[in-house]
Amino acid sequence: MLRRVLSIVLVVLTALLLQTTVFAEIQLFGAKPELVFLVTIVFALLEGPEGGAVVGFTGGMAQDFLLNQPKGITALTLTLLGYGVGLLRTYIVSPSPATPTLLVGLGTFGGILFERLVAFLLGEVATGLLLTVRVALLTGVYGAVLTPLLFPILRRVSGRSRPERVVRW
Amino acid sequence: MALSGRTRNARLLVIVLVSASLATITVDYRQGESGPLAGVGRAALEVMAPLQAAVSRVTRPVGDVLSTLVRLPEVRSENERLRAELARARAQLAQQASLEARYEELVRLLDLQEALDPPTVTAVVIGSGVSNFEWTITVDKGTDDGVGVGSPVLASAGLVGRVVKASATSSLVELIIDPDAQVAARLATSRQTGLLQGQGEDDLRMRGVDPATPVEAGEPVETAGYQGGLYPPGIPIGVVSRVVENPAALEKLVLVRPAVDFSTLEFVLVVKQPAEG
Repeated sequence: MLRRVLSIVLVVLTALLLQTTVFAEIQLFGAKPELVFLVTIVFALLEGPEGGAVVGFTGGMAQDFLLNQPKGITALTLTLLGYGVGLLRTYIVSPSPATPTLLVGLGTFGGILFERLVAFLLGEVATGLLLTVRVALLTGVYGAVLTPLLFPILRRVSGRSRPERVVRW
Repeated sequence: MALSGRTRNARLLVIVLVSASLATITVDYRQGESGPLAGVGRAALEVMAPLQAAVSRVTRPVGDVLSTLVRLPEVRSENERLRAELARARAQLAQQASLEARYEELVRLLDLQEALDPPTVTAVVIGSGVSNFEWTITVDKGTDDGVGVGSPVLASAGLVGRVVKASATSSLVELIIDPDAQVAARLATSRQTGLLQGQGEDDLRMRGVDPATPVEAGEPVETAGYQGGLYPPGIPIGVVSRVVENPAALEKLVLVRPAVDFSTLEFVLVVKQPAEG
């Protein structure tokens, strides 16, 4: 249990560090990757709705405390995203190597739009619909591009921190 | 039966986590910077800042070398040795150029520091904002160095932004291009004042300019520095990039290109808070 908690904390911390340093300089047409979104979606795929929701909540809350917007918005978004992707996994009959890539792309896109909607409803200054959609799209594409590189590492971390493996991709 | 039990557990877990998220949003929204969650935010900044500084220190030179290597043209295999030598030479050159640029930036900051009336402290940019929708940076100076929430932040080229969160050893700076940021500004030629608002990657938007005021592209814009205002007066912000004339409008739309290149910021000056008592 302790090993699992440490693994999740370490993965989330690493994702946040990379997101604010290395990947802040390697942008895709002005967009940085949302690595915590990527981690949440991959863990949801590997571990199901419970694992996805827990990792999403942890990562989202950690990210929220580094932002200048009302705390809890990213945690809410990623909890629902992790749970949703985890549920979706049960409906995927024959998973292919492209499935994680596709789901990270679509999940990040949808997740960012949801997060901005909640932020807007809470009175945060809106960044404009076009810019929001553009950034969400680019971030989704960036996440999808990074997934084949990061998925094997995250699968290894997930597998080592759990007593039994739920599904193989 | 076992499956339905597991599904029930997952649903229960999600309800708990969503409720916790909503409770966090509510508490933070109501209490703002004075609440207990703001303290947790400062602690998170305190934990992340040294890690960000360490990672930035390691990855910045590596990034320089990598980008230099990526730019090298494709050559034949028999030229491999020459290519490696060329790569090494270029990497060294890029590093040297980078060091020279950093030195010049520090000299310019020193000049600015001496010219400024309020006391300032030089800070290193150690991280970028975590979100694509917040234009912020993290710097390595905090309340221990006299920096506090609201402290203006400058670069040698002009205004950078203001501190919105400060821990003991680091601070989160909201850039003037953030849509939440607003700066009282003055057109340098006509002396007309207005309010500048960030628009992310797009140029700043200046509001409140009288339609009768003649404004042309290229006109410098600086901080207005009202009595009791946040920013010192006369700090360059940028130049007018575009003026949209609309006779029917009550104000003129003026777009301003920031003087600071926020993507390459390494060092900044932070104005210290006046000592209490």
